[in-house]
Amino acid sequence: MNIHIAQSFLKAVHDVLAIETQQKMRRGDISLSREAYSSSEVTVILNMIGDIKGMVFYAMTRQYAIGLASKILGEEMNKLDSLAQSGIAELGNVMTGKASVTLSQMGYDVDITAPTLILGENAMISTLDIPRLVMELHGESGGLVLHLALKEFRPPRPQEQEAVAVNGVSG
Amino acid sequence: MNITILNPFLAAAKEVVQAEVQLEVTRGDLALQRSAFTSQDLTVLISLAGDIEGVVLYGLTTQTALALVSRMLDQEFKEMDAMAQSGISELANVITGRSTVNLSEAGFTCDISPPTLVQGQSIEISTVEFQRVVVPLETEVGIITAHLALREAQASADNMPYIPIQVETASPNGA
Repeated sequence: MNIHIAQSFLKAVHDVLAIETQQKMRRGDISLSREAYSSSEVTVILNMIGDIKGMVFYAMTRQYAIGLASKILGEEMNKLDSLAQSGIAELGNVMTGKASVTLSQMGYDVDITAPTLILGENAMISTLDIPRLVMELHGESGGLVLHLALKEFRPPRPQEQEAVAVNGVSG
Repeated sequence: MNITILNPFLAAAKEVVQAEVQLEVTRGDLALQRSAFTSQDLTVLISLAGDIEGVVLYGLTTQTALALVSRMLDQEFKEMDAMAQSGISELANVITGRSTVNLSEAGFTCDISPPTLVQGQSIEISTVEFQRVVVPLETEVGIITAHLALREAQASADNMPYIPIQVETASPNGA
């Protein structure tokens, strides 16, 4: 996987979490894994389709998920009810969407799918033949682990910028 | 969810299971679920994007999966090793892929994601705001429970997964 793809995600997740939690987020360990992922308490799964294909997981503890949901919804939540679940799934959507905007500026044509939420520890989640890049992000109140199992199917296309330039000239 | 989405799936499942594992598929009773789905031994998850968006989940027991993979690869499988995992995910991938071909004949263009395999019982899998149509696909070696959490994509701004990038073009006065 291209390092710029990983950076787009890392930046998107960092920015969204820093804004939502009002905390400084630090990057933790980065590793590459070919094994199945043993699930955390809460995992948001989104798929990417287009020039880059694969899965993105956001893994976190239940407590951190509840904290995040409280921040997004602006009210104190005690449990991960359907409203909180929808908030967390939406957050995954926003982070992936933000990363995909950066990717499209880089010239990749990508689309993201609706989020799926997995609740429950120790399920084995396998991306089969796509290895996962695992990155941790921490703040004061905890953090999340970002898993990227993405494959580049087509190199970025540069014509996007050219088209803008031509418009600028002809206009 | 519209019946025009369901039928292409059923046709694809029948066709693919017949071709890959030489088994007849009969459809069990349909149900509509809103609540989170509690996983069976194995769940294959494949997403769709395009004119139809959402997720398709295929739930099955380890025993059924092993029987299907053994028939598919013509080799006896006793445990869910990497080969068997890959085989069962591929079966789900082919069914979903074939469905999109049928869907495109019905006028819907969509693309599918690679499969993700979830192993582990009693895990809650939630498709969030999507309702699921539960379709039991009954075969001689067990049931594949397909959950279709799909809807027709609306081309409204509210439904965009992200804010579209607007390219500003200069429009000089008097041009």
